[in-house]
Amino acid sequence: MTRATEAATAIGILGTIYLALLFQWLPITLPPTIQEFILPVLPWWVLVTFGAYSLGNIGYHVMTFRDCPEAYDELQVQISQAQNDLRSKGIGL
Amino acid sequence: MAHLASFSFTSSPSNSASSLSPLLQSHQQPHLSSPLQDTLINIDNSATMTNSYKYSVLLPTYNERENLPVIVWLLTKTFQENNINYEIIVIDDNSPDGTLVVAEQLQKIYGEDRILLRPRAGKLGLGTAYVHGIQHATGDFIFIMDADMSHHPKFMPEMIRLQQAKNLDVVTGTRYAGNGGVYGWDLRRKVISRGANFLASVLLRPGVSDLTGSFRLYRKEVLSRLIESCISKGYVFQMEMMVRARQFNFTIGEVPITFVDRVFGDSKMGAMEIVSYAQGLWKLFVAV
Repeated sequence: MTRATEAATAIGILGTIYLALLFQWLPITLPPTIQEFILPVLPWWVLVTFGAYSLGNIGYHVMTFRDCPEAYDELQVQISQAQNDLRSKGIGL
Repeated sequence: MAHLASFSFTSSPSNSASSLSPLLQSHQQPHLSSPLQDTLINIDNSATMTNSYKYSVLLPTYNERENLPVIVWLLTKTFQENNINYEIIVIDDNSPDGTLVVAEQLQKIYGEDRILLRPRAGKLGLGTAYVHGIQHATGDFIFIMDADMSHHPKFMPEMIRLQQAKNLDVVTGTRYAGNGGVYGWDLRRKVISRGANFLASVLLRPGVSDLTGSFRLYRKEVLSRLIESCISKGYVFQMEMMVRARQFNFTIGEVPITFVDRVFGDSKMGAMEIVSYAQGLWKLFVAV
Protein backbone atom coordinates (compact mmCIF):
# COMPACT_ATOMS: atom_id res chain seq x y z
CA MET A 1 0.00 0.00 0.00
CA THR A 2 1.48 3.34 -0.96
CA ARG A 3 1.54 6.33 1.38
CA ALA A 4 -1.19 7.94 -0.73
CA THR A 5 -3.56 4.97 -0.37
CA GLU A 6 -2.77 4.77 3.35
CA ALA A 7 -3.68 8.43 3.75
CA ALA A 8 -6.81 8.08 1.60
CA THR A 9 -7.95 5.06 3.65
CA ALA A 10 -7.44 6.85 6.96
CA ILE A 11 -9.22 9.98 5.76
CA GLY A 12 -12.05 7.86 4.32
CA ILE A 13 -12.63 5.94 7.56
CA LEU A 14 -12.40 8.99 9.82
CA GLY A 15 -14.57 11.01 7.44
CA THR A 16 -17.29 8.33 7.39
CA ILE A 17 -17.35 8.11 11.19
CA TYR A 18 -17.52 11.88 11.40
CA LEU A 19 -20.39 12.19 8.91
CA ALA A 20 -22.26 9.35 10.62
CA LEU A 21 -22.04 11.17 13.95
CA LEU A 22 -22.80 14.58 12.48
CA PHE A 23 -25.98 13.47 10.68
CA GLN A 24 -26.95 10.99 13.43
CA TRP A 25 -27.03 7.95 11.14
CA LEU A 26 -26.18 5.70 14.08
CA PRO A 27 -28.46 4.88 17.02
CA ILE A 28 -26.06 6.74 19.32
CA THR A 29 -27.12 9.78 21.30
CA LEU A 30 -24.26 12.14 21.99
CA PRO A 31 -24.48 14.84 24.65
CA PRO A 32 -26.17 17.90 23.10
CA THR A 33 -23.08 20.09 23.59
CA ILE A 34 -20.98 17.76 21.44
CA GLN A 35 -23.73 17.25 18.86
CA GLU A 36 -24.64 20.89 18.43
CA PHE A 37 -21.50 22.87 19.14
CA ILE A 38 -18.40 20.69 18.75
CA LEU A 39 -19.15 18.39 15.80
CA PRO A 40 -20.07 21.11 13.26
CA VAL A 41 -16.75 22.95 13.74
CA LEU A 42 -14.50 19.91 14.37
CA PRO A 43 -13.01 19.75 10.82
CA TRP A 44 -12.04 23.43 11.00
CA TRP A 45 -10.52 22.88 14.41
CA VAL A 46 -8.47 19.96 13.03
CA LEU A 47 -7.33 22.07 10.07
CA VAL A 48 -6.30 25.05 12.21
CA THR A 49 -4.59 22.82 14.78
CA PHE A 50 -2.61 21.03 12.08
CA GLY A 51 -1.62 24.34 10.53
CA ALA A 52 -0.53 25.71 13.88
CA TYR A 53 1.42 22.53 14.61
CA SER A 54 3.14 22.73 11.20
CA LEU A 55 4.12 26.37 11.64
CA GLY A 56 5.27 25.70 15.18
CA ASN A 57 7.29 22.67 14.11
CA ILE A 58 8.99 24.47 11.21
CA GLY A 59 9.52 27.62 13.29
CA TYR A 60 11.04 25.71 16.17
CA HIS A 61 13.37 23.76 13.91
CA VAL A 62 14.45 26.87 12.00
CA MET A 63 15.17 28.55 15.34
CA THR A 64 17.20 25.60 16.61
CA PHE A 65 18.91 24.98 13.23
CA ARG A 66 22.52 25.09 14.33
CA ASP A 67 25.02 27.32 12.57
CA CYS A 68 28.48 25.83 12.47
CA PRO A 69 31.02 28.62 11.79
CA GLU A 70 33.67 26.44 13.47
CA ALA A 71 33.25 23.85 10.70
CA TYR A 72 33.79 26.59 8.11
CA ASP A 73 36.91 27.90 9.88
CA GLU A 74 38.33 24.39 10.19
CA LEU A 75 37.67 23.75 6.51
CA GLN A 76 39.38 26.99 5.46
CA VAL A 77 42.54 26.01 7.34
CA GLN A 78 42.45 22.53 5.83
CA ILE A 79 41.86 23.88 2.32
CA SER A 80 45.00 26.01 2.48
CA GLN A 81 46.96 23.07 3.98
CA ALA A 82 45.73 20.87 1.16
CA GLN A 83 46.51 23.45 -1.51
CA ASN A 84 50.04 23.99 -0.22
CA ASP A 85 50.66 20.26 -0.02
CA LEU A 86 49.21 19.62 -3.46
CA ARG A 87 51.19 22.47 -5.03
CA SER A 88 54.37 20.99 -3.59
CA LYS A 89 53.41 17.73 -5.32
CA GLY A 90 53.08 19.53 -8.63
CA ILE A 91 49.36 20.09 -9.07
CA GLY A 92 48.48 23.40 -10.68
CA LEU A 93 45.78 25.00 -8.53
CA MET B 1 32.12 1.01 39.19
CA ALA B 2 34.33 1.45 36.16
CA HIS B 3 34.62 -2.30 35.83
CA LEU B 4 30.87 -2.74 35.84
CA ALA B 5 30.42 -0.03 33.24
CA SER B 6 33.00 -1.46 30.87
CA PHE B 7 31.42 -4.90 31.24
CA SER B 8 28.03 -3.68 30.19
CA PHE B 9 29.66 -1.81 27.32
CA THR B 10 31.40 -4.84 25.88
CA SER B 11 28.48 -7.19 26.39
CA SER B 12 25.87 -5.17 24.57
CA PRO B 13 26.56 -3.93 21.06
CA SER B 14 23.67 -1.50 21.10
CA ASN B 15 25.35 0.48 23.87
CA SER B 16 28.48 1.01 21.86
CA ALA B 17 26.68 3.01 19.22
CA SER B 18 25.25 5.49 21.69
CA SER B 19 28.71 5.99 23.22
CA LEU B 20 30.33 6.83 19.93
CA SER B 21 30.77 10.55 20.23
CA PRO B 22 32.34 10.37 23.73
CA LEU B 23 34.75 7.86 22.23
CA LEU B 24 35.86 10.29 19.60
CA GLN B 25 36.39 12.99 22.17
CA SER B 26 38.34 10.71 24.46
CA HIS B 27 40.80 10.24 21.61
CA GLN B 28 41.56 13.90 21.57
CA GLN B 29 41.83 14.22 25.34
CA PRO B 30 44.36 11.65 26.55
CA HIS B 31 44.80 13.47 29.86
CA LEU B 32 41.29 12.40 30.88
CA SER B 33 42.31 8.77 30.82
CA SER B 34 40.50 6.70 33.46
CA PRO B 35 40.41 2.87 33.55
CA LEU B 36 36.96 3.01 31.97
CA GLN B 37 38.12 5.23 29.16
CA ASP B 38 41.15 3.06 28.50
CA THR B 39 38.80 0.15 27.97
CA LEU B 40 36.66 2.25 25.65
CA ILE B 41 39.62 3.44 23.65
CA ASN B 42 40.89 -0.12 23.23
CA ILE B 43 37.54 -1.29 21.97
CA ASP B 44 37.37 1.68 19.67
CA ASN B 45 40.80 0.98 18.19
CA SER B 46 40.14 -2.70 17.71
CA ALA B 47 36.93 -1.83 15.86
CA THR B 48 38.97 0.17 13.36
CA MET B 49 41.90 -2.25 13.18
CA THR B 50 39.86 -5.40 12.56
CA ASN B 51 37.94 -3.66 9.81
CA SER B 52 39.04 -5.50 6.69
CA TYR B 53 36.34 -4.04 4.48
CA LYS B 54 37.07 -1.82 1.55
CA TYR B 55 35.24 1.44 1.07
CA SER B 56 34.58 3.00 -2.34
CA VAL B 57 33.82 6.70 -2.51
CA LEU B 58 31.75 7.78 -5.51
CA LEU B 59 32.47 11.36 -6.53
CA PRO B 60 30.31 12.57 -9.40
CA THR B 61 31.86 15.81 -10.67
CA TYR B 62 30.91 18.58 -13.05
CA ASN B 63 33.17 21.64 -13.08
CA GLU B 64 34.86 20.84 -9.78
CA ARG B 65 38.39 21.69 -10.87
CA GLU B 66 39.11 23.68 -7.70
CA ASN B 67 37.28 21.41 -5.28
CA LEU B 68 38.37 17.98 -6.46
CA PRO B 69 42.05 18.10 -5.38
CA VAL B 70 41.14 19.35 -1.92
CA ILE B 71 38.37 16.83 -1.33
CA VAL B 72 40.64 13.99 -2.51
CA TRP B 73 43.38 15.25 -0.19
CA LEU B 74 40.97 15.33 2.76
CA LEU B 75 39.60 11.88 1.94
CA THR B 76 43.06 10.37 1.66
CA LYS B 77 44.15 11.96 4.92
CA THR B 78 41.09 10.68 6.78
CA PHE B 79 41.38 7.14 5.45
CA GLN B 80 45.10 6.89 6.10
CA GLU B 81 44.80 8.20 9.65
CA ASN B 82 42.06 5.69 10.41
CA ASN B 83 43.62 2.68 8.60
CA ILE B 84 40.69 2.35 6.27
CA ASN B 85 41.09 0.56 2.94
CA TYR B 86 39.62 2.80 0.26
CA GLU B 87 39.27 3.80 -3.36
CA ILE B 88 37.93 7.03 -4.82
CA ILE B 89 35.96 6.78 -8.04
CA VAL B 90 35.74 10.07 -9.92
CA ILE B 91 32.84 10.13 -12.37
CA ASP B 92 33.34 13.28 -14.41
CA ASP B 93 30.62 14.28 -16.85
CA ASN B 94 32.97 15.85 -19.42
CA SER B 95 33.43 19.10 -17.43
CA PRO B 96 34.48 21.98 -19.69
CA ASP B 97 36.75 23.38 -16.94
CA GLY B 98 39.16 20.46 -17.16
CA THR B 99 38.26 18.61 -13.96
CA LEU B 100 39.41 15.39 -15.58
CA VAL B 101 42.92 16.74 -16.20
CA VAL B 102 43.24 17.57 -12.51
CA ALA B 103 41.88 14.13 -11.64
CA GLU B 104 44.58 12.53 -13.80
CA GLN B 105 47.26 14.49 -11.94
CA LEU B 106 45.79 13.30 -8.64
CA GLN B 107 45.84 9.74 -9.90
CA LYS B 108 49.59 10.04 -10.55
CA ILE B 109 50.17 11.23 -6.97
CA TYR B 110 47.92 8.83 -5.07
CA GLY B 111 48.05 5.79 -7.34
CA GLU B 112 45.77 4.11 -9.85
CA ASP B 113 44.46 1.70 -7.22
CA ARG B 114 43.28 4.60 -5.03
CA ILE B 115 41.92 7.07 -7.60
CA LEU B 116 39.83 5.54 -10.36
CA LEU B 117 38.69 7.68 -13.27
CA ARG B 118 35.43 6.69 -14.87
CA PRO B 119 34.49 9.69 -17.03
CA ARG B 120 31.33 9.91 -19.08
CA ALA B 121 30.55 11.67 -22.34
CA GLY B 122 28.22 14.32 -20.94
CA LYS B 123 25.95 15.46 -18.14
CA LEU B 124 23.81 12.38 -17.60
CA GLY B 125 22.43 12.83 -14.09
CA LEU B 126 23.20 11.69 -10.58
CA GLY B 127 21.41 8.34 -10.51
CA THR B 128 23.18 7.01 -13.59
CA ALA B 129 26.48 8.37 -12.27
CA TYR B 130 26.09 6.12 -9.23
CA VAL B 131 25.15 3.14 -11.40
CA HIS B 132 28.20 3.80 -13.55
CA GLY B 133 30.40 4.16 -10.48
CA ILE B 134 29.15 1.01 -8.75
CA GLN B 135 29.93 -1.10 -11.81
CA HIS B 136 33.59 -0.24 -11.31
CA ALA B 137 33.62 -0.25 -7.51
CA THR B 138 35.58 -3.02 -5.78
CA GLY B 139 34.62 -1.96 -2.24
CA ASP B 140 32.21 -3.75 0.09
CA PHE B 141 30.68 -0.44 1.11
CA ILE B 142 30.01 2.69 -0.91
CA PHE B 143 30.18 6.27 0.28
CA ILE B 144 28.29 8.86 -1.70
CA MET B 145 28.97 12.53 -1.09
CA ASP B 146 29.19 15.86 -2.86
CA ALA B 147 32.56 16.79 -4.31
CA ASP B 148 32.13 20.47 -3.44
CA MET B 149 33.38 20.13 0.17
CA SER B 150 29.99 20.77 1.71
CA HIS B 151 30.46 17.27 3.12
CA HIS B 152 33.57 16.76 5.23
CA PRO B 153 35.34 13.36 5.21
CA LYS B 154 36.01 13.65 8.96
CA PHE B 155 32.55 12.18 9.60
CA MET B 156 33.28 8.99 7.66
CA PRO B 157 35.04 7.05 10.46
CA GLU B 158 32.06 7.73 12.69
CA MET B 159 29.65 6.55 10.00
CA ILE B 160 31.69 3.38 9.58
CA ARG B 161 31.73 2.78 13.34
CA LEU B 162 27.97 3.18 13.61
CA GLN B 163 27.47 0.85 10.65
CA GLN B 164 29.65 -1.82 12.27
CA ALA B 165 28.26 -1.41 15.78
CA LYS B 166 24.68 -1.97 14.62
CA ASN B 167 25.36 -3.92 11.41
CA LEU B 168 23.36 -1.41 9.39
CA ASP B 169 22.60 -1.34 5.66
CA VAL B 170 22.64 2.44 5.34
CA VAL B 171 24.15 5.23 7.44
CA THR B 172 23.07 8.71 6.48
CA GLY B 173 24.50 12.04 7.57
CA THR B 174 21.97 14.40 9.11
CA ARG B 175 22.17 18.17 9.36
CA TYR B 176 19.05 18.29 11.50
CA ALA B 177 19.87 16.17 14.55
CA GLY B 178 22.32 16.19 17.42
CA ASN B 179 25.40 18.26 16.77
CA GLY B 180 24.68 18.60 13.06
CA GLY B 181 24.31 21.98 11.41
CA VAL B 182 24.87 24.21 8.41
CA TYR B 183 27.12 27.10 7.49
CA GLY B 184 26.35 29.85 5.01
CA TRP B 185 22.58 29.57 4.98
CA ASP B 186 20.39 32.63 5.45
CA LEU B 187 16.98 32.55 7.12
CA ARG B 188 15.16 32.05 3.82
CA ARG B 189 17.23 28.99 2.95
CA LYS B 190 16.71 27.55 6.43
CA VAL B 191 12.95 28.03 6.26
CA ILE B 192 12.77 26.42 2.80
CA SER B 193 14.91 23.50 3.91
CA ARG B 194 12.95 22.93 7.10
CA GLY B 195 9.60 23.37 5.39
CA ALA B 196 10.53 20.95 2.62
CA ASN B 197 11.76 18.40 5.12
CA PHE B 198 8.62 18.76 7.28
CA LEU B 199 6.35 18.32 4.27
CA ALA B 200 8.26 15.23 3.21
CA SER B 201 8.21 13.73 6.68
CA VAL B 202 4.43 14.25 6.99
CA LEU B 203 3.67 12.77 3.57
CA LEU B 204 6.22 9.96 3.47
CA ARG B 205 6.95 9.17 7.16
CA PRO B 206 10.44 7.88 6.34
CA GLY B 207 11.79 7.63 9.89
CA VAL B 208 14.98 9.59 9.19
CA SER B 209 15.53 13.24 10.05
CA ASP B 210 17.45 14.37 6.95
CA LEU B 211 15.76 13.15 3.80
CA THR B 212 17.43 15.32 1.19
CA GLY B 213 20.99 14.91 2.45
CA SER B 214 23.43 13.18 0.16
CA PHE B 215 26.29 12.15 2.44
CA ARG B 216 25.70 8.47 3.00
CA LEU B 217 27.29 5.08 3.49
CA TYR B 218 25.65 2.10 1.80
CA ARG B 219 26.32 -1.59 1.72
CA LYS B 220 27.22 -2.10 -1.94
CA GLU B 221 24.43 -4.51 -2.86
CA VAL B 222 21.91 -2.37 -0.95
CA LEU B 223 22.86 0.67 -3.00
CA SER B 224 22.54 -1.28 -6.27
CA ARG B 225 19.12 -2.55 -5.24
CA LEU B 226 17.95 0.93 -4.24
CA ILE B 227 19.14 2.63 -7.40
CA GLU B 228 17.47 -0.06 -9.48
CA SER B 229 14.11 0.69 -7.91
CA CYS B 230 14.34 4.49 -7.85
CA ILE B 231 12.41 6.54 -10.39
CA SER B 232 13.16 10.15 -9.39
CA LYS B 233 15.95 12.58 -10.18
CA GLY B 234 17.84 15.37 -8.40
CA TYR B 235 16.95 16.25 -4.80
CA VAL B 236 14.06 13.86 -4.84
CA PHE B 237 16.34 11.00 -5.83
CA GLN B 238 18.16 11.23 -2.49
CA MET B 239 14.82 11.27 -0.74
CA GLU B 240 13.50 8.29 -2.64
CA MET B 241 16.59 6.27 -1.70
CA MET B 242 15.65 6.63 1.97
CA VAL B 243 11.98 5.95 1.41
CA ARG B 244 12.73 2.83 -0.65
CA ALA B 245 15.26 1.69 1.96
CA ARG B 246 12.53 1.77 4.55
CA GLN B 247 10.13 0.05 2.17
CA PHE B 248 12.59 -2.85 1.70
CA ASN B 249 13.18 -3.00 5.48
CA PHE B 250 16.85 -2.06 5.21
CA THR B 251 18.26 -0.78 8.50
CA ILE B 252 19.22 2.89 8.57
CA GLY B 253 21.37 4.83 11.05
CA GLU B 254 22.09 8.53 11.33
CA VAL B 255 25.24 10.47 12.14
CA PRO B 256 25.06 14.24 12.73
CA ILE B 257 27.13 16.15 10.16
CA THR B 258 27.95 19.77 9.51
CA PHE B 259 27.19 21.11 6.05
CA VAL B 260 29.34 23.97 4.80
CA ASP B 261 27.74 25.51 1.73
CA ARG B 262 29.89 25.54 -1.39
CA VAL B 263 33.13 27.43 -0.91
CA PHE B 264 34.00 27.60 -4.61
CA GLY B 265 31.29 27.98 -7.22
CA ASP B 266 27.57 28.63 -7.04
CA SER B 267 24.96 26.87 -5.01
CA LYS B 268 21.83 25.96 -6.90
CA MET B 269 18.53 26.79 -5.17
CA GLY B 270 15.72 28.76 -6.78
CA ALA B 271 12.00 28.78 -7.42
CA MET B 272 12.38 26.08 -10.10
CA GLU B 273 14.00 23.76 -7.59
CA ILE B 274 11.13 24.24 -5.16
CA VAL B 275 8.53 23.46 -7.81
CA SER B 276 10.34 20.35 -9.03
CA TYR B 277 10.82 19.28 -5.41
CA ALA B 278 7.08 19.52 -4.76
CA GLN B 279 6.30 17.58 -7.95
CA GLY B 280 8.82 14.89 -7.04
CA LEU B 281 7.48 14.64 -3.51
CA TRP B 282 3.95 14.16 -4.82
CA LYS B 283 5.12 11.42 -7.21
CA LEU B 284 6.74 9.58 -4.31
CA PHE B 285 3.65 10.01 -2.13
CA VAL B 286 1.57 8.34 -4.82
CA ALA B 287 4.13 5.71 -5.86
CA VAL B 288 5.79 4.43 -2.68
